[in-house]
Amino acid sequence: MAIAVMALVGLFIAFYLLAHALGWTGSLLCGLGDCERVQQSRYSSIGPVPVAAVGVAGYAVMLVTSVLGIQPGYRESRAVSWLLLIGGTVGFGFSLYLTYLEGAVIHAWCQWCVASAVLMTLIFLTSLPETRRLRRA
Amino acid sequence: MASRGERRRKSRDSNGSDMTRFYWVLGIVAVLGLGLVGYQVAAHRAGGAATQPVDLKGLDDPAALMRAAQGITKGSPDAPVTIIEFGDYECPACGEFTLQIQPQVEKAYVATGRAKLVFYDYPLVSIHAGSFIAARAARCANDQDRFWQFHSELYRKQNDWVAKANPISAFVGYAKSLGMDGGAFQHCLESDRHADVVTADMRLAQQLGLNSTPTIMVGLAKGMPRRLGEDFSFKAVKALVDQVLAEADSAKANGAKADTAAAGGR
Repeated sequence: MAIAVMALVGLFIAFYLLAHALGWTGSLLCGLGDCERVQQSRYSSIGPVPVAAVGVAGYAVMLVTSVLGIQPGYRESRAVSWLLLIGGTVGFGFSLYLTYLEGAVIHAWCQWCVASAVLMTLIFLTSLPETRRLRRA
Repeated sequence: MASRGERRRKSRDSNGSDMTRFYWVLGIVAVLGLGLVGYQVAAHRAGGAATQPVDLKGLDDPAALMRAAQGITKGSPDAPVTIIEFGDYECPACGEFTLQIQPQVEKAYVATGRAKLVFYDYPLVSIHAGSFIAARAARCANDQDRFWQFHSELYRKQNDWVAKANPISAFVGYAKSLGMDGGAFQHCLESDRHADVVTADMRLAQQLGLNSTPTIMVGLAKGMPRRLGEDFSFKAVKALVDQVLAEADSAKANGAKADTAAAGGR
């Protein structure tokens, strides 16, 4: 349940950044850090795909999987546990990499990216008990 | 002691209320998120930056069009020759002209007071999605007396901002790096300021039958300027400017002769 709520918050953050990258919004609301510098850096997209789009996809997968995991027929599903664990780990790793880029390469912080990284870390930590469930099964 | 059946029923009831609470939390987060992001998008669409030509009335009248269109001038206003460029910020050839040829033209003619440069916007909006807002951005830079620096910067960084769906942040970054007031620049850009002048410039180019950028024209204060062909090299520009200058000198000499003759006849 906690993963679903965090994934939904993350989904909106990623969607806001994606809307900005696509020109649907004006400047980012940015009380802390230098969001524009981060968003304008060459690391803000992977080829033609904005990093925010990767975030939207990742959070959407986590949201759907976690909501599915609390449905009566899927509570003991190994596939759901695997998906949550893999998604949490990949998301956490990707967030670590993006946070490293902000701090060590771009030398600017974006409050939305930091919030997303914190959420991904929490999602990762919350998904860890799935390993126990998998071992039990 | 509760029976197994009662315990199961209680557990089912508590699971049911947990799920209800969970869906409520999820729903509230969804409404808040949609509201915040939706508001940002709607606010941008309602009062955001003008990125396309605006509807201007009365420009079918050539005199009104000439008044509405405004070029940006560099050099002495008294220079006998005017070198006009109609340019588009997404056009690579315009970038080459600005960054490679224009400095030579400035050194040879503008610095010596023999010619002035006038730049008119001709954003080819049907093929260049960001060229209109780029033209507006340059006009916003002009509000802070940095037009020509920003103009060159747009061409220098053309490959960076053209790839972006939303180049506003990049433009604000360039403005700040050129020492402008970023807030004032952004405020100008995220409005419809100068959209009328850029549109009028476009309409003028269309009225003149121009269909490509850069279009370079060289002329005197009076009369129709002459258009440079497809060769934008400094050699070609120099040949045309020298020709127009020679004509200006010859017209001046003829005028002086006529004055002398008229004075002698009296």
